[in-house]
Amino acid sequence: MKDFLIRLVWRIFSGILMVLAVASLTFFLVRMMPGDPVNAQYNQLIMQGMTPVQAENQVKVMYGFIPKEPVGQQFVNYILNLLHFDFGQSISYEGVSVSHIIVSAAPWTLVLVFTGLIASFLIGVLAGVIAAIKRSSPFGTSLTVSGSLLHGIPQFVMGLLLAYLFTTLWPLLPFGAPYDSSIDPGFNWPFISSLFSHAVLPVFTYALSSYGGWLLTMKSSVITVLGDDFILASEIRGLKASTRVGYIAHNAILPLFTLFTLSIGFMFGGSVFIENIFDYPGLGNLLLKSIDTRDYPLMSGAFLLITIAVILSNIITDFLYSIVDPRIRR
Amino acid sequence: MTNASSANMENVIEEKNQDMAISARNINVVYSTPTGQIPAVRNVDIDLPKGSITGIIGESGSGKSTLIMAIMNAVTKPGKIESGSVILDGKEDMLKLSTEQQRKIRGKKIGFVFQAAQNSLNPLRRVGQQILDLGRSHDVKDLRALIKYAKELLMRLGLDADRVLASYQHELSGGMRQRVGIMFALVLNADIVFLDESTTALDMLSQASVLEIIRELQKEKKLTIALVSHDIGVIADLSERIEIFYAGEIVEEGKTDDVLANPQHPYTRGLIRAIPKISGDIDSAEPLKGASPDYKTYQQPGCLFYDRCPIRTDECLKKRPDLTHIGKSHKVACFRVGVHD
Repeated sequence: MKDFLIRLVWRIFSGILMVLAVASLTFFLVRMMPGDPVNAQYNQLIMQGMTPVQAENQVKVMYGFIPKEPVGQQFVNYILNLLHFDFGQSISYEGVSVSHIIVSAAPWTLVLVFTGLIASFLIGVLAGVIAAIKRSSPFGTSLTVSGSLLHGIPQFVMGLLLAYLFTTLWPLLPFGAPYDSSIDPGFNWPFISSLFSHAVLPVFTYALSSYGGWLLTMKSSVITVLGDDFILASEIRGLKASTRVGYIAHNAILPLFTLFTLSIGFMFGGSVFIENIFDYPGLGNLLLKSIDTRDYPLMSGAFLLITIAVILSNIITDFLYSIVDPRIRR
Repeated sequence: MTNASSANMENVIEEKNQDMAISARNINVVYSTPTGQIPAVRNVDIDLPKGSITGIIGESGSGKSTLIMAIMNAVTKPGKIESGSVILDGKEDMLKLSTEQQRKIRGKKIGFVFQAAQNSLNPLRRVGQQILDLGRSHDVKDLRALIKYAKELLMRLGLDADRVLASYQHELSGGMRQRVGIMFALVLNADIVFLDESTTALDMLSQASVLEIIRELQKEKKLTIALVSHDIGVIADLSERIEIFYAGEIVEEGKTDDVLANPQHPYTRGLIRAIPKISGDIDSAEPLKGASPDYKTYQQPGCLFYDRCPIRTDECLKKRPDLTHIGKSHKVACFRVGVHD
């Protein structure tokens, strides 16, 4: 238990170090960008008729540091602000803090991508087990082929295709926007059902275009485990089929477990194509828009969020892994 | 010829009188490979008398493990049992039972210690949990007694029982795993036990101690054991009967003492001559000439040992010899019995 705590503290500490390292990198990258966006902003503000002091203050609010200050001082200010979760202010949404924008966009992405991820993982793992066990039958082969095929179709093609099929050819589902704008948002049935029906297509697009990856990984993992000596041993010892399937599943899912928790981290990058096609105001769209409008504070805030999420999920994966795989424990 | 056939009749009667734990007849196992169908086991008859130890010896790839798997009806792809019957206790045919009936016999009536016993455990579960899995699969009512018996066996095998039960496979050494494998084969009180090269991976000292324990347990519980090995010393030491396997066929069988004292098949003689002696000249051990059989060997109509045989004649190339009696229970598959090289 003591070892565990020491490890936990050490991992969190090194995680924070990593986040700081990435944040510093982002800081210098933004400053090194062609045209120096910070200075450009400063000049622009002066041209809009601000006094140098006003402009300086405005830039400080946006980026967390003053362009005329020595770099060291700027850097210290920037990091100090970060420690208060102050990512500065957005340029395109004037006067709104970056953290506020990100927090309001995050739920859209999380619901969309998380549901899609869970769905694709479950379908993929199940189909992968079947494809592995029935690998010499036509059914198993066609499962595998469907996996590779769908895996190969880019998300935006899949999205447009599904949108065409289900909104134009057979108008069963609504297209675009996360909910019907004529309905008042709130905790009422029409709103929730509208949310739901609007989410079906994007979630499906995500699940269909990513379950193939899970399927193929799970299939090869199951086949590897099936060839292990202890599986033959469990058969010769007359273990029940259900027990044996449990043995196989537990051993085969380990490699996927890592991938799965890591994709939860990457989820915070949003799903740019799907959010764009279905007009979802999530993190992917936000990132795209911030790049479009050269909204550097928003951009670095979004990148930092992805960084933190990935590092955090990495740490969690590490600890969960030592629970599901006794060989990792010390 | 008439002599041989009347001896045959006598022995058939004698064999019927003795109770057989396993009586396998006409076993044929074929492996489908890209180079064609390879008969890994061909027309093999084998009897395991109750309460006896039978040694099965042959070189790597001779089909001895495949034969054991065929007796368990557990040949894995691309292998396939083409024909045969395996009668258990003079009653049911293992090859005709339903999958569920077979499952209940495996582990409970027939214990099996693997060639790769080192890796015969689920790496993600403690040994104790796996014993419980085994017990539940075979509807053992008193699981506590099962664990108690497992501990007793482990202790007899010289292990710290509590530690082993709480361990994962990776926390045990190779020799410990092998002993755990033996415990798994015995814990449900199986009365037939197959040991498939089970001590090959151990050093000489551990091997000797494990074999000694097996001998003790066999006497105590009147186990029927089939011991598969390519170590003729181990088999000579333990077994009452011996089966010499070559290229998927039995070429000589009989009481161990008879066969080893008076080997008739040139392959058996070659095997015995290849054992180095502790005293004397190391060069007096003579390696077997020629290469192990490959897929081409199986295609020839004559004796499979022809290529390596020191006493071959042209007759051997045309026909394959059948296993025939030359003594009470001593059988040889060779046209040239009595001819010495």
